[in-house]
Formats: sequence, structure tokens, C-alpha cells
Amino acid sequence: MGFLDRVSVPLERMNRVPKLRGKLDDLQRNRKLRSNLELLRYRVLGTEIDKGLLFKAAVYIILINVAFIYLKPILYMMTTMVKDARNILDPSVIWVPKSIYWGHLKEAADMLHYGKSFLISLSLASSVAVLQVFSCAIAGYAFARLDFPFKKLWGALLLFTFIMPPQITILPSIMLFKSFGWLNTFLPMVVPALFGHGLKGALFVIIYRSFYSTLPKELDEAARMDGAGPFRMFFRVMFPIARSATVVVVLFSFVWNWNDFYFPSLYMFTAEHVPLSITLARMAGEMKTAEGAGELTVYAEAIKMAASFLIIMPLLFVYLFAQRWFIEGVERSGLVE
Amino acid sequence: MKLGRRLEAQTLRKLEGSLFIAPWVFGFLTFVAFPLGFSLYMSFHQVKITVNSVQYTFIGFKHYREILIANGSLLYEELFPFLRESAMMIPIILVFSLLIAILLNLKFPGRTLFRVIFFLPVIFSSGQIVQEFIAQGEGSLSIMETLRIDYYLQEYVPGAWAAPIQKVMGSFVLVLWYSGVQILIFLAGRQTLPAAVYEASRIDGSGPWSTFWKITLPGLVPYIFLNLMYTVVDLFTFPSNPIVSRVNTTNYGSSSALAWIYFTIILVFVLLTLLLYSRVDKSLSGSKK
Repeated sequence: MGFLDRVSVPLERMNRVPKLRGKLDDLQRNRKLRSNLELLRYRVLGTEIDKGLLFKAAVYIILINVAFIYLKPILYMMTTMVKDARNILDPSVIWVPKSIYWGHLKEAADMLHYGKSFLISLSLASSVAVLQVFSCAIAGYAFARLDFPFKKLWGALLLFTFIMPPQITILPSIMLFKSFGWLNTFLPMVVPALFGHGLKGALFVIIYRSFYSTLPKELDEAARMDGAGPFRMFFRVMFPIARSATVVVVLFSFVWNWNDFYFPSLYMFTAEHVPLSITLARMAGEMKTAEGAGELTVYAEAIKMAASFLIIMPLLFVYLFAQRWFIEGVERSGLVE
Repeated sequence: MKLGRRLEAQTLRKLEGSLFIAPWVFGFLTFVAFPLGFSLYMSFHQVKITVNSVQYTFIGFKHYREILIANGSLLYEELFPFLRESAMMIPIILVFSLLIAILLNLKFPGRTLFRVIFFLPVIFSSGQIVQEFIAQGEGSLSIMETLRIDYYLQEYVPGAWAAPIQKVMGSFVLVLWYSGVQILIFLAGRQTLPAAVYEASRIDGSGPWSTFWKITLPGLVPYIFLNLMYTVVDLFTFPSNPIVSRVNTTNYGSSSALAWIYFTIILVFVLLTLLLYSRVDKSLSGSKK
């Protein structure tokens, strides 16, 4: 830039010569145009490809499209459930209903026995989540940082548990729980969680293990020097430190247990007090038979959507509440390694 | 004396470790190992359940023979097309989630909003809700009809593959819905790649394209395989999986045999993945030297 300053002195002198002035103007205009063009190029294409407008536009287009794919069923659900008969039959109404009708929601809540089932689902999912967090953190911690006999073998078995489909152990488990007299209670879901198993328990142990194995060795040693025993150290130092992993595990565990249909359907098939996922399936069955008998056909979809909404809504709340920590947790916890 | 104390400390450590792992090991033995062994036992037996007792009669490989050879319709007409379907779904899920994870990792306004939206499938995809959506036909893409892809597929692709391709395309949205956790894993994995490397390559004048192929992709190889494994495991408990509903309480013996056949197939899949991974890992670390 210093160079230009020095040049500008003779340029100014040239200004005084009228003949040259026109040419100079041209030159300056040219330069201005070029710098403008360059600016435009930088704006559009970027100094590097991924900083330009064009690239950003492409990113936004892809992301918005995919986001739409993810949001569409939810939007569909929400708009369908508030349509009354007139809006359903009106072919001009696709997305936005002309009036809002809450009756379907009420009907769906009645069919789901919403109040009772909601409490059951809530207590089941949250108790499993809490138990899984503690038991899986303990197991993951042991796998990552403690020594015990046959550690390699147990590590391999942990992976094995992760890979194994639940279908292979489900039948003997049913018989086992039957002999304990646990069928049609929540114990078959809760007790395995107490021991670090249960729904996707192996995955949670693996998450904790990979989190704890990233921590520096000095941490244990420092705590040990300060005279902390193993249990104190775990509950005072190691468990609080794994907060980001805990957020991820709590959310996954809660959501998956809330949604789970497979285990409750096999362990509590004749129970009276069942979680929402089962009541939804029962409701769908009832509606199918009703449809077969020729009733309810117009409202069926709206009621189903209302029921789906009622089941998802608590999860949406939890997620909106927890998403900040969750996303942070995913990034920091080393959800993987 | 000194040796004795060190040994003591070591056993103490082992004791502590054993104490911590004990609940998990106990859980494993009761809720995994025992049922596993028992289902293997049942698969070789005819199981008869009466009111207050269960009778087992040894019949050897009869259940297996029935499923594999005599009555193969379930295995060959339902499971194999499903496997072909998954063989196509897996790469789609992986590539898609990698793409989205990389885009979400960029810095741009509104990133948080997009992240919130993209993690939504993690919440929904495990439930009955998705089943409802599938039933409503939310799973298909309308491009399929407008471009008449169905027609071309049937014309030019051999029959055994045309139907699965059609099915995958028909449930394409569903495939995207099932990549929530995979996006998470890739995003978390991408965070582990140091920013300094990217800066260095940028200073050396490499564009984003070559940066992706030379740095991001090799760095993500462990996560790609982790995702591959997760996807394989996930697909085998997929709601549209024909086997899942067949393992039921109507016939304990043959259901167990079916589960074991199925599990063997999964194990083969996973072992192949691991083998491939060790190969890739070796060649990558070899090329770095």
C-alpha cells in the first residue's frame, strides 16, 4: 500500500494536464470496475470455494431440503389432527385446515387412556434411564480405567452384547421372568437396567468407556494421592466429570425406552397397566377392526395422528429442553472414542 | 518386602476393579449368557409347554433342517430380499449421514436450528410413530412416479435386484429417517479431527475437495466402520424386518433355531466388516509411513 501512496503523487501532478486527464479517468474507472468485479467474485465464489455465496447457497439448499423431509411428517401430523370432517373431505384443504378442531385430540387421549399410560411411560422410561446411567457409567469406568481379571474377555463379550439382536434371547428371557413371576410387571425392563443391561445397555457402556478412556491418567493419580477411595473417587470425580456423556445417555435411554414397543409387548402382553407404546398399538388394532366393520373411516387418520402427537409431544418437550446440552454433549463427550 | 507390597497393591487394584465390574458381569451372566445358552439348547429340542411344566425332547438338527432346507420359504423369500435391501440401504445411509454431518459441521448462521432438526429422527425413528408414517405413505419420494423410475428398473435390472431397489427407493425417506444416530456419530467423529491439520492444508493451498479426500475421509475411517456396524445391527432389528415378528412364543424350539440362524448371518456380516476394517486400517497406516 505504501507503494501506491508514493505513486499517487505523480498521478496528481498529471491531473493538471488536461490531455491526460481523460485517460486517467478511464484508468481509474477501469480499476474501480475491476476491483468491484473482484469483490463480487470473492463474494460469490469466495477466496476459497467453501467461503463463497454460491457454496453457502448450495449448503442451504441441501440442508433445507433434508430438513423438510424430516419435518414433513411432523407437520402433516399436526395439521391432520386438527381437521374436522369438513376439512378432511374438502379437496382444497391439503396442509392448512380452514378451522381448528380439537375433538380428535380428546378422543385419542381417551382411547389411549392417556393420563394413566402417560404416567406409566414416564415412570418406566425415567427409572430405566436413571438406572442405566449409573450402572453403565460404573461398568464403562471399570472397562476404561480399572483392572480386573479376564478384562479382554469381558470386553469382547461387551461388544458381543452390542451386536447380538434381542430376538435371540427373548424367548428364554420370557421363560426366566415367568419363573420369577415378573411377567406383566415392569421388572423385566427395570432389573436388567440395574445391572447395566436392558435396552441398548451395551451401547451406553461403550459410550462411557470411550469417554473415560479419553481422560488423562493423571486424574486418577491425583485423586488417589489426595486419599480418595475408589468409590469416593468415582462418585465425586469421575461421574460428575462425565456430564456430557451422561446427557447423551440419559436422552437416548429415555427416548428409546419411551418408544420401545418390542420388550413391553412381549413381557406384558396381558397386563392392564401398560405404557403408551402398547396402548397405541392396541388402539391401532381396535381401529382396524372397526374399519373392517365399516365405521370411523373418515376420522381414522386424524385420530391416529392425534394419538401419535400425544405420544411424541413429551419427547419433543424433553428434546427442546435438553437439545443444547445434548448437542454440546455429542460434540464434547466423544460419543465415540 | 517391596515386591510383596507392590503385589498387594496390584491385587487391591484388581479387587477394586472387580467390584466395579461385578454388577455388569452378574447382569451379563443372568440376562445375556444364560438366555443365550438356553435358546441354543431349545433350538435342538421340541419344546412342549403344558399347564405347569415344560417338556423338552431332543430332536437334533431337525428345526435347522426344516428352516434351511425343507421349508425354506421364510429364509429365501423373505429374509434374502431383506438382506439385499439392507445391502443397498447401508451405503445410502452411510454416504448420506456423512454428507449431512460434514455440512452441519460448517459454520453458518442458523446452524443450531438445523442441528436441532437433524437430530429429531433420533427421537422418532425408534417408535411406533414411524410405522404410522409408513402406513400413511410418507416414506416414498414423489420423484419416483414423475420420472417413471419403476418402469426403467423393471426393464433393465435383473429381477432379483429390481424389487429390492424399488423397495428401497420407495422407502427412501425412511432410509433418511434412520440415519439420525449415524449423523451424530459422524459429527462427533469430525470434531476429533484437529483444526490445525485443516489450517495447514489450507495454507499449503489445497482446496476443500482435496482436503475432504485426503484428510477428512481417512480421518473418519474408524467412524465409518463404527457406523457400518451400528447400521448393520440396527437394520437387523428394523421394524420392516421379516424375522423380528417370526421369533414368537408360538413355537419355542423352531423360533430359537431361527434366531440362531439369523444371528449367525449377522455375525458373518459383522466379522466381514471387522476384517475389512483391519485391512483398511493397515493399508492406511502403512501409507502414512
